[in-house]
Amino acid sequence: MKRGRDSLPLLLPAVAVFLGFFFLPLGGLFVESFRLYLPGRIGSAAEAPLTLANYAELLTPAFAQFFFETMRISLLASLAGLVFAFPLAYWITRSLSARWRAIAVGFFVTLMFLSVLVRTYALELTFGAAGPLRPILLSLGISPNGRGYIEILVGAGLLHYIVPMATLTLLGTIQNVDPRLVDAAQALGAPGWKAHLTITLPLCMRGLLAAFLFAFTFSISAFVIPMILGKGRVLFISNLIYNRFSEIADYPSGAAISIVLFVVALAIVYVMSRQVNKRWNS
Amino acid sequence: MSGRGLDNGFRLLGLLMIGVIVCFLLTPIAVTVTMAFDARAYLGPLPPPALSFRWFEQFFSDDYFLRGLSTSIQLAVASVSVSLCVGVATAFALDRASFLGKEALISLFLSPLIVPPVVTGFALLLFLSHMGLVYGFARLFCGHIIITVPYTIRATLASVAGIDRSLTEAALILGATDRRAFWDVTFPLARTGIVSGAIFAFAVSMDDVAVSIMLTDAKTYTLPIALISSMRANFDLSIAAASVMLMLVTLALILILDKFVGLNRVIGQGVFR
Amino acid sequence: MTKLTRRQALKTAAATAAVTIFGGTFGSIRSATAATEITAVEWGGDVVNAMKQIEAKQDKVKVNWVLHQGGSGAILPKIKATWPNAEYDYVAGWEGSFNGMVKEDWLVPVTVESVPNLADIPQKIIVKNAKGDWEAVPRAVGGIYAAYRKDISPVEVKSIEDFFDPRLKGKICWPGPTQAMMLPLVALALHAGGNENNMDPGFALMKKLAQSGNIGRIGVTDTDFSTSLTSGETAVGFYSEPQLTAVAKSFPLVRLTKQEGVPTFLYQSGFAVMKNRPNVQATLAFINHCISPEMSSLYAEVAGEAPLNVKAKTPDNLKHLAFTPEEMDKYVYVPDFNVVLSQQDAWSKRWENEIAPLL
Repeated sequence: MKRGRDSLPLLLPAVAVFLGFFFLPLGGLFVESFRLYLPGRIGSAAEAPLTLANYAELLTPAFAQFFFETMRISLLASLAGLVFAFPLAYWITRSLSARWRAIAVGFFVTLMFLSVLVRTYALELTFGAAGPLRPILLSLGISPNGRGYIEILVGAGLLHYIVPMATLTLLGTIQNVDPRLVDAAQALGAPGWKAHLTITLPLCMRGLLAAFLFAFTFSISAFVIPMILGKGRVLFISNLIYNRFSEIADYPSGAAISIVLFVVALAIVYVMSRQVNKRWNS
Repeated sequence: MSGRGLDNGFRLLGLLMIGVIVCFLLTPIAVTVTMAFDARAYLGPLPPPALSFRWFEQFFSDDYFLRGLSTSIQLAVASVSVSLCVGVATAFALDRASFLGKEALISLFLSPLIVPPVVTGFALLLFLSHMGLVYGFARLFCGHIIITVPYTIRATLASVAGIDRSLTEAALILGATDRRAFWDVTFPLARTGIVSGAIFAFAVSMDDVAVSIMLTDAKTYTLPIALISSMRANFDLSIAAASVMLMLVTLALILILDKFVGLNRVIGQGVFR
Repeated sequence: MTKLTRRQALKTAAATAAVTIFGGTFGSIRSATAATEITAVEWGGDVVNAMKQIEAKQDKVKVNWVLHQGGSGAILPKIKATWPNAEYDYVAGWEGSFNGMVKEDWLVPVTVESVPNLADIPQKIIVKNAKGDWEAVPRAVGGIYAAYRKDISPVEVKSIEDFFDPRLKGKICWPGPTQAMMLPLVALALHAGGNENNMDPGFALMKKLAQSGNIGRIGVTDTDFSTSLTSGETAVGFYSEPQLTAVAKSFPLVRLTKQEGVPTFLYQSGFAVMKNRPNVQATLAFINHCISPEMSSLYAEVAGEAPLNVKAKTPDNLKHLAFTPEEMDKYVYVPDFNVVLSQQDAWSKRWENEIAPLL
C-alpha cells in the first residue's frame, strides 16, 4: 500500500482543525474536570486545587441509570432509523423515476432544514399529552403521561432527524451497488429477500455504518429533543451537563460528565467501526 | 411457502414501512406551517382557532432577526466551504492510505458529534479567549467548522468507500494519470456523498443554538440565537415562521438547481443509477 | 503580559471593524447627539421593550442592547472567559446570577452617592458582598408562587396538600433544578416543618409528589412552563413571575400569592455594573434614571414586575404583588439567600439522585 502514502498530506488540514478547534479546547475541559468547585462561584477559581471529587460523585446508581437510559434510547432510535431508512433509500434509488427521485431527495433535503426546536414542539403538540391523539391513546389504554410513552416519544423525536439523514447517506451507497449481482443471484434461483440479505446488505455495510454512527452520535449528544419531549422526566446525559453549565455554573462537574460520556461513546464508535470493517472489508 | 410469495410479502412490508415513515416525517412540517400562521400569542393546542400573518410581519419588522439572519448565512457559507474542503481531502486520503490506527483516526474524526454541543462551545470559548481571540464572528466560524466537519468527512467517506476500486484501477491501466483517474472517476462517483455532507453541514450550521450561544459577542449573533433571545417566558412563534421560510428557500433553491442543472446531476449519479 | 496586549489589540481591531460596518449602515441616525454609548445585557421580550422606552426618555446615553440567550446563566461563562476585560457595562440579572458575579468580584459597588435614587429603594433587598458593600441596583420584584389555570384545572388549589390530589394526575408543571432557585422545593420543606437550612423534609415531600404521578412536566427552561400551561398539557404550577405572567396574558390564572399555607417568595430584577469599563459614571447615571419613580412605574407597566421605588405606582395588573406589611409577614417567606444560593449545586445533585429517578 505504498501508493496511499503520498495522499497523507491531505490529512493535514483536518488534523489542524481538529487539534486547534477541538482537542486542545477539550484538553482545557479535561483539566477543568479535576478542579475543585466552590458552591456559588462561576466555574473553578484559577488556582483551585486538583481533585477527583467530580468523578467520584458520579459513582451512583442514579447516574448509571441516566447513562444507561441515554444509550438505550439512542441505540434503539438509531437502529429503528436504519430499518426505516434502508428500504426508503433503496426504493428511491431503484424504483423511482428520475423525476420522482429528484422530488424525494428534495423533500429530505428540505426536511433537514426544519429547525430542531420547532420540529420538536410540533411533535409535542401532535403526539404529546395535549395533542389530538390523546383520545385515541387513552382508548388504547396508553397513558400519554406514562414513562414508557414519553420514552417512545423521545425516540420518535430522534427518529425524525435520523431518518432523513440516514436516507440521504444511504442513497450514495446504494447507487454504487451493482443491481446485476442481485439479478444474477435470483436467476440462479435465490429468492429476492435472500439475494438482498446476502448481496445488497453486505455491500452497503460501510454506508449503513456511517448512517448508524451519524444517528447514534447525534442521539447521545441530543439536547433539545429529550428536553422537550422527555418533559424533564426522561433525562439524557446532555441534559445533566446542561444543568451544570447553566445557572448553577458548576463547570468542573459538567466537564467531568462530558469527559466520561466522550470516552465511553468514542469507545463504542471505535469498536463498532472496527468490527464492521473487519467483517465486511472487501 | 414459495420464495416469490415471501418476496411479495417483504415488498408489501417495505412499502408499508415507507408509507408510515413518510407520513410521520410530514406531520411536523404540516404542524409547523400551522404554527407559523397561528394567530394566538402563545403555543396552544391544535388546531388554531384563527390564522394570521403576524409572525411573518414580526420577523420582517425586527431588525434584530434580520441581522441574525444575515450573520447566519455568511457564517454557514464560510464555515461549510472550509469544512467541505477539509472533509473531502480527508476522506480521499483516508480511503487511499492504509496505516496503523486508521480506524481509530476515523473514529476520532467523528468525535465532535459525541460531545454535547454546549460543551464543545464552552471548551472552545475558554480556549479561544486564552489565545486572545474574542471577536464573535471568528469564534463562531471556528465553532461552526468543528461541528460541521465530521459530517463532510463521514458522508464523503461513506460514498468513496462504496466505489469499486477496480474502476479506478481500470482507468489507471488505460493510461490515465493518478490525478485524471481521481477527477474523472472517483470524484464524480463520490459526488452524492459530498453533496449530502454539504447539505448536512449547512443545515447544522443554520440551526445550531448550543455551540453558538457560547461564542456570540455583543454585536455578532446568529438567527437561532436571536430567536431564542426574544423569548423570555413566552414561546415566540416567529421561530416557526422563520423555519417555514427557511424550508421554502431551500425548496426554491432545489427547484432552481433542478431546472438549470438537473438535481440528478448535482447529487451525483452512482455507477448503477 | 504579551498575551494581554495581544488580546487588547485584537479587541480594538475588532471594535474598529464593527464600528466601520455598523457606522456605515446606521451611523446617520444618531450621529448628531454626542451620547455616550454603553452595552447592556437585558432580557428579550417585554423587559427589553420597557428598557428601550426608558432609554428614549433621556439622551445622555445610547444603549447597545444585547439579549440574554435563554436563562441569565448563559452569559456568565462568556464574561469569565474574557475577564478582566469586560464587554458589557451592565448585566441585568437577579439574586441567582448576581451571587456568582459578586463572588467572582466582577461588580462595581454602588452607593446612594453614585445612584441617588437608591434612597427610595428598600435597603433590605439590595445584594451585598461579604464586606457589606452594595453590589447591584434592584429595579423591580417578581414573585415565585403557586398558580393554576382556572379554566382547566380539575382542582381549586388552596394548600400544598392539594398538589397531591389524585385528580391532578399529570397536571402539575414543577420547576427543575435550574429554575426559580429551587424555591418551590423550599416551600415543600416549609410545609413539612423544615426550611432552607433543613431540606430533608422538603426532599421527602418532593419524593412523595414525584411518586404520586401528578407531575406532568419538569420545567427546564424559561419557556417550558408557559408552553406547558398554554398548550393545556399541565394546569398547575409553582413558578416565577415572567412565566406566570406569560400564561396570565391569555388565560384565567389564579395566583396564590396571598394564600395561607402556600408560601410566596420574592426575587429582584436589577442591574449589575461591571468593573473595568470606560463609562462607569455614565452607566450609573443611566441606571439612576431607570429607577426613578416615573421610570420605575413605566418599567412595571411594560415589563410586568412590581416597582421597588417606594414613590412609584404599582399598576393594577400587579396587585397580586402589592403587600401590606401584615400581608408581607403572613404570606411572604424571605429565605436566607446566601444559604439558598450556595446550596443550589448540592440540591440539584441531590435532585438528580433522589427525585429524577422517580419521575
